[in-house]
Amino acid sequence: MLSKPVEMKKVSLVMVDTDAQRAAMTLARMTVLHPLEDQQNSLQMAEFPAASFHDVYHSLKSRFTKINEYLTEPFNAPLDLTTLITLDQLQQMDEQIKDLWVIVSKVEEQLRKQYEKAIVTRQLSNSLQKFVSLDLDLSRLKRSSRFLKIIVGTVPDANFNQLKRALSLVEFMINPFYSGNGLQHVVIMGSSQQQLDVHELLKTADFRELEIPEEFSGNPAELKQNLDNQLSQSQNRIDELQKKLSVLLKDIGPTLQRSHELLVLSEPYAALSTVLKGHGGLVSMLGWVTASSEQQINDELKKYLQYPFYIKFLSPELSELDSVPSLIKHGWILKPFQHLVSNFGIPNYAEVDPTVLFSLSYILMFGMMFGDIGHGIVIATGSLLLAKKYRSFSIVGFLLGLSSVSFGFVYGSLFGYENIIQPLWMSPMHDPTLVLLVALGWGALFLIISNLLAIRNYLTVGLKQQAFYSGKGIAGLLFYLAALFAAYQLMVNKQFGLQEIIYLLAPLSFIMRFQWKQSTAGLFERILVVFIETLELIISTVSSTLSFLRVAAFSLNHIALAAAVFSIASMMDMTGHWVTVVLGNIFIIVLEGAIVAIQCLRLEYYEGFSRFFSGKGKAFKPLKLDI
Amino acid sequence: MSSYSSAYLSTRLSIFASNLLGIHRLMDLLGLDLQTILKRVNQFTGHDYRIDDTDSHYLENQLASSALNDFQPIIRPFSGNERLFFYYTIRWFELVNLKVLIRGKFTRADNSVIQQQLVDLGDFAELPLKKLLETEDPHEMLRLLETTAYAGIVRQARNVYEEHGNDLFLLDATIDRSFFINLKKRLLRLDNQDASEVNQVMGVLLDRFNLLWLLRYRFSYHLSSAKSYFLLTASGKNLHSATLMRLAKLETIDEVLAALPDSLGANLSGLKTISDIEMVLEYSTLAIASKVLKHNNLVSRCFAYIILREAETRFLQALIKGKQLAFDDKLIRQALVGTI
Repeated sequence: MLSKPVEMKKVSLVMVDTDAQRAAMTLARMTVLHPLEDQQNSLQMAEFPAASFHDVYHSLKSRFTKINEYLTEPFNAPLDLTTLITLDQLQQMDEQIKDLWVIVSKVEEQLRKQYEKAIVTRQLSNSLQKFVSLDLDLSRLKRSSRFLKIIVGTVPDANFNQLKRALSLVEFMINPFYSGNGLQHVVIMGSSQQQLDVHELLKTADFRELEIPEEFSGNPAELKQNLDNQLSQSQNRIDELQKKLSVLLKDIGPTLQRSHELLVLSEPYAALSTVLKGHGGLVSMLGWVTASSEQQINDELKKYLQYPFYIKFLSPELSELDSVPSLIKHGWILKPFQHLVSNFGIPNYAEVDPTVLFSLSYILMFGMMFGDIGHGIVIATGSLLLAKKYRSFSIVGFLLGLSSVSFGFVYGSLFGYENIIQPLWMSPMHDPTLVLLVALGWGALFLIISNLLAIRNYLTVGLKQQAFYSGKGIAGLLFYLAALFAAYQLMVNKQFGLQEIIYLLAPLSFIMRFQWKQSTAGLFERILVVFIETLELIISTVSSTLSFLRVAAFSLNHIALAAAVFSIASMMDMTGHWVTVVLGNIFIIVLEGAIVAIQCLRLEYYEGFSRFFSGKGKAFKPLKLDI
Repeated sequence: MSSYSSAYLSTRLSIFASNLLGIHRLMDLLGLDLQTILKRVNQFTGHDYRIDDTDSHYLENQLASSALNDFQPIIRPFSGNERLFFYYTIRWFELVNLKVLIRGKFTRADNSVIQQQLVDLGDFAELPLKKLLETEDPHEMLRLLETTAYAGIVRQARNVYEEHGNDLFLLDATIDRSFFINLKKRLLRLDNQDASEVNQVMGVLLDRFNLLWLLRYRFSYHLSSAKSYFLLTASGKNLHSATLMRLAKLETIDEVLAALPDSLGANLSGLKTISDIEMVLEYSTLAIASKVLKHNNLVSRCFAYIILREAETRFLQALIKGKQLAFDDKLIRQALVGTI
């Protein structure tokens, strides 16, 4: 029922420096090593022998990735995974790829310029469109007089007002004659003497001039033809450049393939650049491995390393537990639930992995809140139909559907009808108080289990004080049991006396004493902290338990929603009746189903996980080959 | 915002405000050695800034990160347009990175040199710095920049790179101008009361920006009056469009100062250099921000705090850099003008 992350051992490996890359490759093939940086430098090794290798690798990878974005076909030629890569090979390839990228980048820049030119030409062509109907001789605009300068073009909307005011400072006028696509199409006029200043200003304002060719002496329609020609030239140039780029990429294919091989084969060694430490021809490294792989690692290293090496496997010490990575392994059924758990956090190595408990309680609660044979069958069938596309979702959905079917039998509910099937127990509507009490009982059990898990987690990491005296420890558990007892006495036997008060205050006094000891603040602040934290504990004890009333509330809500659908349906004719029943049931399955799924998750995360699960673990990330 | 969030934010702001060094304390640090400066700053602000002998930019980055960390909790309670406004305000920090990056790439500086000057903005970062650094040339960098939130300045940057060569000041000004115009747009989306209170500080900031850049364009870079005016940003508190147009046409600093509205010109009359004017304007901006920080309106208080903290951070960064490079105190004092 309770699982733990896979047992880990700390591995310390010392070898001859020429064997370091072989070791990296071997361990990467096995995918068993989570590298660990030696912060304390326990072996007094101050050099990082793989650092320059890593820098070149990184540079090559970055350049290769940029070119690779242009490629559509993946690299899938077989690789010899025992090949070692030298720094020289990497450097040469990096230089080659750099030169290639410069060529590709130049073509890309030319393309960008052509695209920009095409856009501007298109905008000017649109601008000119406004003159076509005027049959105006535009060559007059080109022949600005000695005194008058006239310019036609476009300016971005955002710059127009500021430009208008700035032009007025040099006594130029600007008149828009059309606006669209974020541009103002304008005519600018003013004294020729100021044109130099204006030219600079217009460039700053991102003004695009409608240039009228020197030889041009026609009307707007002819100029439009001229612009269309320019546009077609730009398009031709774009086609040429794209063709050039694809030919280039094809030509450099073998180099890229080789580069890809080098990157794959050198990645493990480069990835260990901060982990491998060396001095005087020796290299050391640390890492975490699964305890079960100890022998296999030994054998593989013996097989592939050229020189003798020293390897030591140690169980993690208590002080190291926080840094041990967690490897969680579950079968295909629990895998989707594991994802839901990791949404909250990854279990710390020393913590209980709550996946199994979570899965069972989640499925159970969903059924309790959404018990209906028909709805459950729809959810389970729907999930199966989606199995190919959404595997994880379909497993969770199918199990929730089954749970819903099971509780449907318990409640005797089929598509909201409460009188077709005889209930194994009863419909929640018949005795809501009992249903509420069952939900409270379930909540209390859930919280007690959470508390026990918290105590276990504290003890595992050596936090005995917290395990015994904190609000989540044994004292907290006793207080909770006392609170349940007191509530029972009050509700059932109508008595709340000295005995109940003593039961409540005894564990509470330990908790308060613990909080007092934990605080390092001044006297007044200490009193305040203890008072507030105790109050918070009492409130959360009550509120967390009451929070489980929603389990009952939703089972009642389910029936109430169905009743509402039937009552609307009863007002319709035969066809309307069945349409309403079908649509109403779809509505219940989709909307209420989603709400219940979320509410269950909320109960798990906030009432369960927050009590015993830190979720601050580090995922086990093994060194591996990126093939 | 709920009353709980308001109470929380108000308390947070009061605590943060009490940790601000203030202009006088900052000035008092000038004559001290680096260790004593750090000791005093740590003592007063409650931070634990340290020097890393292996990384000369470590402390500068620490100062920026610490400011950004403090901005997180004061922005979190806001939502909608208010939050967007503050996120945009904090982009001011990123503009420093953007300028460093563009300058570095345009001047073909080594990536390691550029990287050292970049500040880690954590969750506030919009720029893909790593990718931008890995570009081989300015054209590639600009193409990549075109895909970011800063696409708007790329065209100007291309012009500068292809045509003006060394006129990088023009690019800096364009970046700042675009920032203030967009910030003002976001300000106008705030609730009327909030916008008007925030404008008390922002108006002064915009006046400062416009006046200083107008003086620089006209009398340091000798740009035409039209182009100088065009490069200015949105209207501030005292300097509206018509006033700025009038000022842009004037031929000397004295004429500009004499033509300023009384509310702004009174403090500046008689000043001869742009750096003197800059200093006075900055003092008055910080004085107004400090005053607003004591007000009731949370949006304006937050904005004032960000302005003050950003000024303090840049002041300390410049001071520490000066001390690390063993510059003369007089030189550091001169360099500090413009950082606050």
